[in-house]
Amino acid sequence: MRTLLLVPALIWLTLLLVAGGLVLLRARDVLQRIIALDLLAVLVIGVLALLSYLRGERYYFDAAVALALLSFVATVAAARYLESGGPFE
Amino acid sequence: MISVALDIIGALLLILGLVLLTISFVGLLRMHDTYSQLHAQGLATGPGVIALLASSVATEDAGIITFAVLGIAFTVLTSPAAGHAIARAAHNRPDRP
Repeated sequence: MRTLLLVPALIWLTLLLVAGGLVLLRARDVLQRIIALDLLAVLVIGVLALLSYLRGERYYFDAAVALALLSFVATVAAARYLESGGPFE
Repeated sequence: MISVALDIIGALLLILGLVLLTISFVGLLRMHDTYSQLHAQGLATGPGVIALLASSVATEDAGIITFAVLGIAFTVLTSPAAGHAIARAAHNRPDRP
């Protein structure tokens, strides 16, 4: 499990992250951009988790859980904003 | 003995998570409708990241596994809510295309 599997997994996740950035750039709609951004946050959470396994440090997981919180709040806020036309309506 | 078993379980969960993320990504690339893209993306934000975080059992580190369980619980709670919010916004937004 150590480096034999974790390093290729990290490389693959990084490739997915780059491709996700391209999807984010070529999205035609605001909602598709929100969806792609949510997926990117999930990919970054995966990268942080794998880094934590690889190095045996738990600090990366703090960042992963905080990023999960932030991405949820950001997604819901953006969706509500788009739905109502304003942040406080 | 149990360490080897945990290693195998962790590796399988890691591969499963990567496969789910890749399938979800291909779906996101191939679909052109917002609802279909949301359907494909829900595979990554739910089961994909849960499998990836659950592969922390192979580390046998109590702190890491605790945070992974926290992350899994949080994902189970928030991923359907976020998907629902996006679908709702797509359904009744003022300037629907």
